[in-house]
Amino acid sequence: MAKLFVTLILLLPLLCNCFSSENPTDRRILVLLDDLGIKSSHSIFFRSLQSRGFELDFKLADDKKITLQRYGQYLYDGLILFSPTVERFGGSLDLSAVMDFVDSGHDLIVAADVSASDLIRDIATECGVDFDEDPAAMVIDHTSYVVSETEGDHTLIASDDFIQSDVILGSKKIEAPVLFQGIGHSLNAANNLVLKVLSASSSAYSAKPGAKLSSPPSLTGSAISLVSVVQARNNARILISGSLALFSNRFYRSDVQKAGSSTRHEKSGNEQFVTELSKWVFHERGHLKAVNVRHHKVGETDEPAMYRINDDLEYSIEIYEWSGKSWQPYVADDVQVQFYMMSPYVLKTLSTDQKGRYFTSFKVPDVYGVFQFKVEYQKLGYTSLSLSKQIPVRPFRHNEYERFITTAFPYYGASFSTMAGFFVFSVVYLYNK
Amino acid sequence: MARSTSKDTQALFQSLRSAYAATPTNLKIIDLYVMFAIFTALIQVVYMAIVGSFPFNSFLSGVLSCVGTAVLAVCLRIQVNKENKEFKDLPPERAFADFVLCNLVLHLVIMNFLG
Repeated sequence: MAKLFVTLILLLPLLCNCFSSENPTDRRILVLLDDLGIKSSHSIFFRSLQSRGFELDFKLADDKKITLQRYGQYLYDGLILFSPTVERFGGSLDLSAVMDFVDSGHDLIVAADVSASDLIRDIATECGVDFDEDPAAMVIDHTSYVVSETEGDHTLIASDDFIQSDVILGSKKIEAPVLFQGIGHSLNAANNLVLKVLSASSSAYSAKPGAKLSSPPSLTGSAISLVSVVQARNNARILISGSLALFSNRFYRSDVQKAGSSTRHEKSGNEQFVTELSKWVFHERGHLKAVNVRHHKVGETDEPAMYRINDDLEYSIEIYEWSGKSWQPYVADDVQVQFYMMSPYVLKTLSTDQKGRYFTSFKVPDVYGVFQFKVEYQKLGYTSLSLSKQIPVRPFRHNEYERFITTAFPYYGASFSTMAGFFVFSVVYLYNK
Repeated sequence: MARSTSKDTQALFQSLRSAYAATPTNLKIIDLYVMFAIFTALIQVVYMAIVGSFPFNSFLSGVLSCVGTAVLAVCLRIQVNKENKEFKDLPPERAFADFVLCNLVLHLVIMNFLG
């Protein structure tokens, strides 16, 4: 009986199939809603997540029993905030708890909407995205609105201004425009971690619908971003959308006809857009790992502890991309390695064998010191790789120079001729009459 | 004025040459040896100025051998010269023996430093 108990206890760690570096796709996601009606009005989105293997835990945003972590361990791998009007989260969750969650490497989807609360706006600001300050403002576009019988204030807009990235939006082109009805935000141009995934057309502006404008609106044109993503330096991914209805069943199923264009798409691009984007946000695509960094002298296989100047060496690394289920070899032609000491002495693009192994060979420069093999790979939409391996480089030992240096032959000749001259001189001097 | 200057220089050279002809033969041999050594050193310095001082130890070794042996030969000449009152009591054989031993040490050093 005791033996059975002990073996069961030992098997317990195998039951843990949560986020780990070997399996980077998130598994358990906490979904916070304003009201439980969202669960059914956005059911297609939630069902697509569940069919990809995620465990969704639905809770009301002010539920008292919300905890993200227990005894220092996070209970969830991702967080979806579909609660744009919540003023205070229930339980132990607040702005700093959400930020700590992201800082520890977990992913976040935030959807704001009209009359978004300050809490949601602050979360977005912490992530690098600034919503329009006017709480009643929505994005209005009088040339890209959706043609329909009911909506007359042109707040329901169709946008097809996507970011050009196969990693983030998938390789299949999104044919139909994406329906959007909500608030817009702007990005700081100096921030290079945040990307505009869906931007408004150049005729859009952010203002209160129906009201007369007394001054020009602050957010206009394609500076307005409708959906943005942030990839933090610790590779946590955040999706911020100005419209909760973007994810809803109604928008998924609706047909789209943009004003001014005659084509009528049967189905909007929302479902494809959101599905592909959620695959990227939850690390099912574009997540890289680099393993097996090796370097050695040409002709040998072990890694030496030190190189000498003017040695020939080979460097190789293996990079894999997570496909959602397994690690696939990553193929690219722009991975570079630097041989770096205060500044790169050698910068080479690695060639690949298409199976994930990248390699190159070069000659150690004529400078001695402590160098690093550095690989800094930051490609749009992919996790950033930052590897460095330190290696010292020594100068020639005194017996590693050539034995007779060609440029010094005149000096050798002069010394020997002096010796011969001395010998001849002494003979002549002694035997001179 | 110019004519007298050129005549003066000619007269100067003539007197130098005739005075030099009067020196004993062994001193002339020493002078010849010194000229040879300095000439070799000069060639090496010109070569270094052209090519650069890469094996600096070899350059120093070569120049030192020439200059050192020239210096030792000059010392020998001073000690052997009969007109020199200071070394009247020094036997010329002793001076020559010193010269040979110092040259041996010099060449040992430069062989080591030559690389």
